[in-house]
Amino acid sequence: MVLQSSLKNCLHLSCILRTPKAGFRSTTSGGLIIQSVSNDVYQNLAVEDWIHDHMNLENRQVLFLWRNSPAVVIGRHQNPWQECNLRLMRQKNIKLARRRSGGGTVYHDLGNINLTFFTTRKKYERMENLKLIVKALKALRPQLDVHVTDRYDILLDRQYKISGTAAKLGRATAYHHCTLLCNADKFVLSSVLKSPYKGLKSNATPSVPASVRNLFEEDPSLTCEMLLDAIAEEYATQHQIDHRITLINPADETVFPGISKKTKELQTWEWVYGKTPKFSVSTCFNMVYKDSVLDVKVDMDVKHGRIEDCNIDLPEQWLPPALCSELVKSLTGSRFSPDETSTLAATLLRVCPHDDELHSRWNLLCENMVTLM
Amino acid sequence: ARKFTDKHEWISVENGIGTVGISNFAQEALGDVVYCSLPEIGTKLSKHDEFGALESVKAASELYSPLSGEVTEINAALADNPGLVNKSCYQDGWLIKMTVENPAE
Repeated sequence: MVLQSSLKNCLHLSCILRTPKAGFRSTTSGGLIIQSVSNDVYQNLAVEDWIHDHMNLENRQVLFLWRNSPAVVIGRHQNPWQECNLRLMRQKNIKLARRRSGGGTVYHDLGNINLTFFTTRKKYERMENLKLIVKALKALRPQLDVHVTDRYDILLDRQYKISGTAAKLGRATAYHHCTLLCNADKFVLSSVLKSPYKGLKSNATPSVPASVRNLFEEDPSLTCEMLLDAIAEEYATQHQIDHRITLINPADETVFPGISKKTKELQTWEWVYGKTPKFSVSTCFNMVYKDSVLDVKVDMDVKHGRIEDCNIDLPEQWLPPALCSELVKSLTGSRFSPDETSTLAATLLRVCPHDDELHSRWNLLCENMVTLM
Repeated sequence: ARKFTDKHEWISVENGIGTVGISNFAQEALGDVVYCSLPEIGTKLSKHDEFGALESVKAASELYSPLSGEVTEINAALADNPGLVNKSCYQDGWLIKMTVENPAE
């Protein structure tokens, strides 16, 4: 049975987490298993960054266990507009995070567990880690049909994906992290991972959709805690280390100096949206106004999350041409974001005469523009 | 002359401009490159600065500047054809060109 250490072990941890200076001897050799007390995706991703940047993993490997409250996590070079339903996520207060590793988009909630294997760059070995997980699952429930594919997915019953993998290789260290579906909300998962945005052209790395299943559906006696314990147990056995899991608090600057800066950076618009590879939007929509249907064609180039080039094709004279060109001018250089677009649309409207007809047409156009973002 | 870093990046300097790429060993270790993230022209780099990343089927891997200088050109062909890094790491798969601020480096 794996014992959970209390938080007073964190002081001990702060010694072993720092890069050893000359003469320092680590009290733990071989490996370390840590689990986050936080369910905040940004804090937990920051822990990964911190360990990657600050820990010396020459003689020590680390397994990091974490879970997040509802969030969509995209890969380093992905396009969130292509990957998920940002509108729905805003409505449901589901966070969007961009991780530093590659790979595709995943949905996290408390029914999903995340596992990060930290090693030196030389010892980076995803297959080994995934086989460890499968071994742990089979030790827990021998009847489970789980195996690792050559795409580094873990499949249940040969058809359902229960785990996806991503990785980052740094100067001297590497990490491989993966998800594991225990009891996540599949309904929310499939609805947020479906993008409603049309006409996007981009060379961002795409996700490969898959049918998923929770382990809980296969065996309702399974819980996240049981899975975490089983995997920690197997890791401890294979690395011949203490079975204890040390709890860590990602908000603790004394244990992780500089971590709040990393956490903040992961939440900036510039990182989450601004790192999207250049893409273009070429789409049209219909607007129903009184008794007519109007076709509008929109073309935009978006770079670093900002509109670089913009063209809106409207039926002639439906709106004053001067106002339309002002809109295009304002959009150019602004963020490809509903908030920013709504704000600049409202600002432009304020300098117009108060004409109800004009106002309703303007609002209709701008509302539609916003739905593209 | 092509010089190598211990991280398996190479730089070849001609007329004060250095062309940077990754070695054959590095491209083999990475596997098929699916995306190249490169800096903006004009970016100033110090030796060892992270200037971009390559994403391959294996992982996202950071690129470190072998020298200090300013980015003068990036290989636009890699946007549509990131596999050039694997196929021709010393020729068509070059990553960036930069000025060489400190020839001693």
